[in-house]
Amino acid sequence: MKTVSIDIGSTWTKGALFEVGDRDLQLIKRTVFPTTVQHLADGFYQVLNALLDDAHAIDRVRSGEITLNYSSSAKGGLAVAALGLVPSITLESARVAAYSAGAKITQVFAYRMNRSDIRALEANPPDILLFAGGTDGGHFDTIRHNAALLASSALDCSIVYAGNRAVQDEVTDLLGDKDLVVVENVLPALDQQNPDPAREAMRTIFLSRIVKGKGLDEIIAATGSEPVPTPYAVYEFTRHIQEHVPGWDDFILLDMGGATTDVYSSHDQCPPPGAVQRGLPEPLIKRTVEGDLGMRVSAEAVSETGDTLIAEHLAHDPAQIAAFHDYVAKVTAEPDYLPQDGQGKHFDTLLAGACAAYACERHAGRSTQVYTLDGTVDVLTGRDLTGVKKVIGSGGWLANSPDFDVSAWISERKVDGKGKTVLLPATVEYYRDAQYLFPLLANVARNYPEAAALTGVALLAQS
Amino acid sequence: MQETIVIGVIGSDCHAVGNKILENVFARAGFNVINLGVMVSQDEYIDAAIETNARAILVSSIYGHGEIDCIGMRDRCTERGLDGIPLFVGGNLVIGKREFKDVEVIFKGMGFDRVFGPDVDLQHVVDCLHQDIAVYNREHLAVEAAA
Repeated sequence: MKTVSIDIGSTWTKGALFEVGDRDLQLIKRTVFPTTVQHLADGFYQVLNALLDDAHAIDRVRSGEITLNYSSSAKGGLAVAALGLVPSITLESARVAAYSAGAKITQVFAYRMNRSDIRALEANPPDILLFAGGTDGGHFDTIRHNAALLASSALDCSIVYAGNRAVQDEVTDLLGDKDLVVVENVLPALDQQNPDPAREAMRTIFLSRIVKGKGLDEIIAATGSEPVPTPYAVYEFTRHIQEHVPGWDDFILLDMGGATTDVYSSHDQCPPPGAVQRGLPEPLIKRTVEGDLGMRVSAEAVSETGDTLIAEHLAHDPAQIAAFHDYVAKVTAEPDYLPQDGQGKHFDTLLAGACAAYACERHAGRSTQVYTLDGTVDVLTGRDLTGVKKVIGSGGWLANSPDFDVSAWISERKVDGKGKTVLLPATVEYYRDAQYLFPLLANVARNYPEAAALTGVALLAQS
Repeated sequence: MQETIVIGVIGSDCHAVGNKILENVFARAGFNVINLGVMVSQDEYIDAAIETNARAILVSSIYGHGEIDCIGMRDRCTERGLDGIPLFVGGNLVIGKREFKDVEVIFKGMGFDRVFGPDVDLQHVVDCLHQDIAVYNREHLAVEAAA
C-alpha cells in the first residue's frame, strides 16, 4: 500500500510518497512546488502528479489505490480570537484549546468587553471567536453582557461558545443570528480542563467553512479526503509518538519556521515531593505558538525580544551588532534569503537560538522558592519540563543545522524577566528531523499512527 | 440551591490537614466547595470566586502570618468586581499571645465579615455562612435587578 502526504504551507506545497509496511514507512519520493496562493488546488495537484508521476494521479486516489492525507497552513492558517473571563483561568483554557486545534491566536479578551473591543474584532475578524467564561454553574453576568455586545456587532465569523453551561440557552438566544456552535465548557470546574469539544468544533468549522474560502473545497470534492490545519496534525503526531514509541513519554518538539515557532510537549505532570502546584491542571500534550519568533518574517521581532541575549553572543566583537541588524533587515525583506558566508550563517544561528530560547521559556512553567515555617517550598505554576530528556528540532533551518546546540540556548533562559526559575531541562538529548519529514509524517499518522510515529523517531538524527 | 464557596490556606502556609477537614465539613453542610488547597494568593481566591460565581470566600491561616497575608484583600475584592462578597477568616491568625477580641478587631478593620479562632465550632461557621450569603444574595440581586 502506498500513501501520499501533502502539506500546503504559506510559501511551499510539500509532498511525499510512502510505502506502508507493518510498523514502518519507506519514503519513496518527495517533491515541493510553490504554493499557488490564488488557487491552492493547482499547487496541490502539481505535487500529487509529480509524486505519482501521473498526470491523472487523482484517479488513483479516488479509486482507493493510494491513500491521501493533507494539511494546510496556507493563507495565514486558522485564526482564532479568544474570549474568557479571568485571564489566568477561562481565558487560559480557551488559549490551550485553540492552540491544540492548530490555531494561531490573533486577539484575546477578558472580563467585560466594551465597544472598542468589538470594533477591534470587526476591524480584524478572526476565522473563529472562541467564547469562554465561567465554570459550569459559575459566573454568568459577564457572559450575558459579552453575548449581547457580540449580538449587536457586525462580526460575522464563526463563534464557538464553550463557557458556563448555565447560560448556554441565553447565549444561543442572543447569538442565534450569528454562525454559532455551542459546545461543552472548556473549564467545567476549576480543576478540570476540557479542551476537546471546543477543539473538535474548531476543526469542523475549519473544514466546513474556512477551507472553502481558501480553495481547498475543490480538493475535498475531488479526493474525498479532508485537510486539517498543519499544527493540528503535528499536535496529534506528538500524541501518537507518546503512545506508540517506547521511551518517548516525555519530550519537547520545536518547530521553527520563518514566521512562527511552535513548541509541542508531551509530559504527564506530577509535582515533585515538597513542591506545591498552583494554577490550572496541565494537559498531557500541549502546544504553544509564538507569532513573534521566527527566522525570517519575524526576524525583526526576534532581534528586539532577544537583543540582550544576542548582544552577549556578539560581545567579543561589538562591530558585529550593527552587521547583525543589517542582516535582520535583509532577511525580513527577502524571506527566501539563505546566508552565503560564515557571518550570515552565524547570524542565522543567533536568530534560531533566540527563537528556541524564548519559545521554550514561554511554553514552560515557573517555579519560585517560598520560605515557610517548615522550610523552603517550591511553588510551581504551569508546565514542569525540568525532567524532560529529549528535544526534537524540526522546521527548515533546524533540519539542516546539525551543530545547533539546543541545550545551551535553552539554558540561556534559566531565569525569566521576573526572577522566577523557568521549568526547562538543563541538558537534553537533541534529535533533529534531518529530512524535515515531521509535518508530512503527521498527515500519514492520521491513517497509520503507529508506523508513522515509529518511522518519525527512527529517522531522527542525534547530535 | 447549592451555594458555591471558595476556601484555601493563604500565603506561605502549607498546612493541609485542617484545610481538608474544612472542605469535608462544608461539603457535608451542602455547599459546593471550591478548595484551592494550600499557599493560596489573594488573587487566586478572587479569580476562583469570579469564575465560579462564589457567594463567600473563606481564608484560613495557621502559621501566624495571617495579618500580613490578608492586608488589602477586601479592597482587592472590590476592585475586581466582588463588591460585598462575604469574606471569612479563621485559624491561628497572629503570632504571640493576643486576646482573640483584639485579633477580631484587626481583621474586621481589614474588611473581613467574620473572624474565627482556632477552636471555633464549625457548625457555627456554617450557620454564619448561611446567614451572610442570604443577605449578600438579597443585596446583590437587588443591585443586579436595578442594573
